[in-house]
Amino acid sequence: MRITPSPEDRLVAGYAALAIVIHVLEAGFPSPIPGVKPGLANVVTLIVLLRHSLRLAIWVALLRVLVGSLLVGSFMAPGFWLSTAGAAASLLLLTLGSVWNRAVPVLRLGAPGLSVLAALAHMGGQFALAYTVFVPHPGLLRLLPPLMTAALAFGLATGFAAAAILRQLPPVAAGRP
Amino acid sequence: MSRGDVLAIVLAAACVGLLYAHLWQPAVTATHVELRVGGKPSGRYALADSRDVAVEGRLGTSVLRIEDGRVRFLRSPCRNQVCVHSGWLHRGGDAAACLPNRVSVGLVGGDALDGVAH
Repeated sequence: MRITPSPEDRLVAGYAALAIVIHVLEAGFPSPIPGVKPGLANVVTLIVLLRHSLRLAIWVALLRVLVGSLLVGSFMAPGFWLSTAGAAASLLLLTLGSVWNRAVPVLRLGAPGLSVLAALAHMGGQFALAYTVFVPHPGLLRLLPPLMTAALAFGLATGFAAAAILRQLPPVAAGRP
Repeated sequence: MSRGDVLAIVLAAACVGLLYAHLWQPAVTATHVELRVGGKPSGRYALADSRDVAVEGRLGTSVLRIEDGRVRFLRSPCRNQVCVHSGWLHRGGDAAACLPNRVSVGLVGGDALDGVAH
């Protein structure tokens, strides 16, 4: 049996590879607070979303979480599930964002807006899983505001980075995915 | 940055602000000590009454001291004495535990009022 990759498959593979490299490099940096990291790999997700399509962005994000966790060694560990919950929540938000952009083009969301909302959704999803499954202690709720503040700051940084890169990239050639 | 982005960022910041307002309220004034042995509630003592409480755990007897609206582990038959080193607890929600002896204490508030002034 022979599998012929479509141009779209190659695109997903290329972007996912880039995101995985960023993910693994970032995992090497010590984090001051558990659960807080910049999430620079999301720059790639945002670029794919805004340059190509939501479908490709979802592929790239899910592949990144899966392969990234395999490489870092956290596959199936609590961190992996937190990461997956976060990714699922932020992808859901990016889906809503895409629907919003089609419905209300006047108030179109670009990279910064999408990034901030997705970062908050990511932290929210992660936190909801941690609170309901891993540590259901009311004291954990006191951590939520500072964690969300970090998500807001990193979401802004990631969003502006993605916007800056998008400005530098040549427009997508017609007829390509 | 588009107008939509500005709107999204302002909304996001407002949500984070609301979280602080909701979740960072001042701690509840504690009125009672709740004691647990092996995870099961085994007693409730008013913080206002100073006294020593002896608790039978899995290893032996842990002694708690209640004094001036605070509580602490005074003695415990465990090896590392983490519980004793936790020191005095006085805020609502504070807790300490002797895991080897399966004894834990938590502070709880009495009613919704923080205090009454006359």
